[in-house]
Amino acid sequence: MTPAPQLELTGVSLALPSTAGPVHILEGADLTVQSGGRVAVVGPSGSGKSSLIAVAAGLERPTSGQVRLFGQDLSLLDEDGRARLRRGRVALVFQNFHLLPNMTAEENVAAPMEIAGRKTAIETARAWLDRVGLSARRDHYPHQLSGGEQQRTALARALAVGPELLFADEPTGNLDQATAAQVADLMLTLIADSGAALVLVTHDPALAARLDRRVRVAGGRLHAA
Amino acid sequence: MSVAIAFARRELRSGVAGFRIFLACLALGVAALAAAGSTAEAFRQGLASQARSILGGDLAVSVEGRRFTPAETAAFAKLGAVSDTLRVRAMAQGSSDSRRLAEVRGVDAAFPLAGSVQLTGAPSLAAAVAPIDGLPGAAVDPALLDRLGVRIGQTLMLGDMQVRVRAALTGEPDRLSRGFALGPSAIVSRAALERSGLIEADALFGETARIALRPGAKPTPAVAALHRAFPDAGFRIRDRTDAVSGLKRLIDQLEFFLSFIGLAALLAGGLGVSSAVTAYLEARKPAIAVLKALGAEGALIRNVYLIQIGALAALGVAIGLALGAASPFVLGWIARNRLPVPVLFALYPKPLIVAGLFGALAAAAFSLLPLARARATPPAALFRRDLGGQIRWGLETAALILAGLGLVALTLITAPSPTVAGVMIAAVLFAFALLWLIGRAATWTATRARWLARGPLRIGLANLAGPASAARTATPAIGLGVALLSAVVLIQSSLLSQVRDVAPAAAPSLILTQIPPERATAFDAIMAAAMGPLTPDRYRRAPFATGRIAAIDGQPVDPKHIDPSGRWAFDQDITLSDLASPPPDANLTAGQWWAPDYTGPPLAMLDQAIAAAAHLKVGDRITVDVLGRPLDAQIAGLRHIDFGQFGATFPLILDPAALAGAGLRDVAIAKTSPSAEATILKSLGKDFPAVNVISVREQLDAAAHLFDQLAWAVRGAAAVAALAGLLVLTGAITASAQTRGREAAILKVLGATRGQILLAYGVEYGAVGVIAGVAGVALGAAAAYPVVAFVFHARWSLDVGGVAALVAITAGLAAVGGLAGAAVALGRRPARGLRGG
Repeated sequence: MTPAPQLELTGVSLALPSTAGPVHILEGADLTVQSGGRVAVVGPSGSGKSSLIAVAAGLERPTSGQVRLFGQDLSLLDEDGRARLRRGRVALVFQNFHLLPNMTAEENVAAPMEIAGRKTAIETARAWLDRVGLSARRDHYPHQLSGGEQQRTALARALAVGPELLFADEPTGNLDQATAAQVADLMLTLIADSGAALVLVTHDPALAARLDRRVRVAGGRLHAA
Repeated sequence: MSVAIAFARRELRSGVAGFRIFLACLALGVAALAAAGSTAEAFRQGLASQARSILGGDLAVSVEGRRFTPAETAAFAKLGAVSDTLRVRAMAQGSSDSRRLAEVRGVDAAFPLAGSVQLTGAPSLAAAVAPIDGLPGAAVDPALLDRLGVRIGQTLMLGDMQVRVRAALTGEPDRLSRGFALGPSAIVSRAALERSGLIEADALFGETARIALRPGAKPTPAVAALHRAFPDAGFRIRDRTDAVSGLKRLIDQLEFFLSFIGLAALLAGGLGVSSAVTAYLEARKPAIAVLKALGAEGALIRNVYLIQIGALAALGVAIGLALGAASPFVLGWIARNRLPVPVLFALYPKPLIVAGLFGALAAAAFSLLPLARARATPPAALFRRDLGGQIRWGLETAALILAGLGLVALTLITAPSPTVAGVMIAAVLFAFALLWLIGRAATWTATRARWLARGPLRIGLANLAGPASAARTATPAIGLGVALLSAVVLIQSSLLSQVRDVAPAAAPSLILTQIPPERATAFDAIMAAAMGPLTPDRYRRAPFATGRIAAIDGQPVDPKHIDPSGRWAFDQDITLSDLASPPPDANLTAGQWWAPDYTGPPLAMLDQAIAAAAHLKVGDRITVDVLGRPLDAQIAGLRHIDFGQFGATFPLILDPAALAGAGLRDVAIAKTSPSAEATILKSLGKDFPAVNVISVREQLDAAAHLFDQLAWAVRGAAAVAALAGLLVLTGAITASAQTRGREAAILKVLGATRGQILLAYGVEYGAVGVIAGVAGVALGAAAAYPVVAFVFHARWSLDVGGVAALVAITAGLAAVGGLAGAAVALGRRPARGLRGG
């Protein structure tokens, strides 16, 4: 029997209100990600790639359609329920890193584990900073780190919890070419080691080509690329 | 909770820079409340500790217009040591023509039983009042000596009595408990005053016995025993617990008003608290969204920020309490020996606890809404910064309502009059809501008006209309401060104008008492020689006495059953007259005047406001203690009396037969020029030395001076509320500093000059100041008018200069604040501003 997919979007639409009337971002998008599957989402700016991740991760409610995460229908959960479902199982990496500005690199990595109530959060965080080559920077605040270092910290934060599914929204979009390549290599290596599934939004065709499957967002729908 | 504490600690580690205004607003309001409460308590405790000295013993029993009987004197002696004092008013005159009314007291050897008399020129009071060269000695208030040009060692006339001044009377222990005095004090021996003939000549004399109870005896049973033993004596008995009840009431009222202003400052500052928390949480929005994306529930987010805000609120309250607790000591150090009442400076916990509670409740009431909003921040805000959460019913909203109710309840509980407090709370909330609407209206207007403007004016209006507009938060806060300040200024200016302009125009300038009716024609002739023809609008003369309404329909008066507006007429002696025919301004509103030759049972005319306060009507019976005997009279009519006007303003008039044989002296009132007053004083000194002359002009000047001093305290407190408003404006400027920096950089890149950018900001903040100033003054005037017209019954006068100055200062300060903020933004290099660093 085929195991239930980790993520399943069926006929998902998303319209955001604006003063000039609703803006339709997604219109009947379908996507399935199996355990350990690695999917690249590509498409032009403004096509709704980031919105797709927001809806898939339960950060945004779709206007219509169904999102099932780990077999659970997200529409049946309130915001706290969705947060509990994500806790320790889903991780996110963003283009703008979104590190917590008042926490050191080590505290940033430890934060999701502390939220999940894990006793060894700090020790695990140290080990992960070591793996991403930032053990010397663990007491530094985000503003004291370079862009590449910030994204490596964000990667450590995402993967330290041992997620089953990682959403990465243009993780190399704010980095120079060389740093972007280093971060991409690191991310793919760590993902391969962890066995987690990956949904990666990117503009970089070379990076997209390194994943198992590619989908293109166009006209609010997803097409195989 | 440990995760929340750890996260909160990490956030706080980066400093409290964003919370400076939060701390300042909270500390200012709490400090104002704690200072008002602690200072009032210092005065109260000071008075309580000196109560026995202030009263001059444990009990003070007074009678008016008669001496104590031997039976009464014997009863006093049974209670403990007694000091007996005679009181009378007399004109004092030295070797010059200058004359002045003095309050003369004849004291026995036991005076004072408690406290001590302060003298210069004599070693003791006994030495000062001892006879010398056949003349009685006297200790006289130095102000009177200065006025009359008399030095220690010289002689002085007190009425018909010649005395030798042997000491300057610089302090009397019981001065505070004797209340309002028409003239400075002179103390002679009781024996000398008895021999002088002044007592016989003056129906307004009085006698007071001060009693030091035997050890262990309580005042209350002693008072009850005296009332039982002498039910018809007309005693006025005070004990050490109510020695200064009037002064205590004044302190209570003043504390309430100052605390209320402190509370208003806390409310105005509350907007600063709310803005600071909102700005802080807004800046944390991405972090909150990240935490949520990482799996944090709403409760964790709430706890993380609740702990931070709670810790900072505790710090703000602590700073405020420290400042407030220290302020009485600072006041004591500044005023040192100039305070007119005893003060006991110490750390009083109760006012600090109350101020702390107010601070904590205000912090909760103004922080919980932004906190609820932060809790509701959706994680999708990571992608869209402008996304806000929907506030839902929960712990925060419930606690918010409880905190608001707590603030109202605490105000009502701690106020001397819950009704007045309730009205004031409602007025402040109404003003606050109205100012908030005006702020909104300002942004709405600016949105539409900016299309008509060009250049810097348009930029200023656009900012005024924008989402970060200072009009929304600063207008209510500054407006409330200005409203309080202008209410105080307008009430004060109206009352001062009443005392300085309205009252002198309407009231008599001289009151002359002790006129022997048998020589009235000669007296009138002297007055006419000085003033010209004696018309009723400038001169009146009538028989005069004082008396107390002791019973209504046979039942002793219970002040609790009398409306506070008229209580004054029942808890002290009031003036009365006997007139055969109605005066020109009789203004009868009910009943009718008696026939000129009426000789039946006693009849009375009563002021209708006093009658209404005691639910009295025509036909009811009152018992009046007059000239030492009770007199039953039936109310024949009610009069409308305008006490501010020149005329027969006796609240009580009896028919002449009722007081026949009492030998009332006449009183005259005259409205005349200062030069005519001098002539009258001189002429009367020759022919009518026993006639007492009271200068109303001097009394009004003294009242204006006293009022001016009191007003400074209230004005200072109101300025604190205005300061809270300016703090909120500073908060608004600080909160938008980064956006403004970026905006200024863009404007510079687009070719705007520094002058144009400064002008734009000046327009924006100046407009906020003008709107808040005008609205605040209008609301202040609306609050002041009923107080002036209905509470003080004074004539409303608008201090245009003061009001204009308030608006100008508010607008000026707001514009300067805006310009200062702009100057900081302009000081940064455009490239830095554009990077947002």
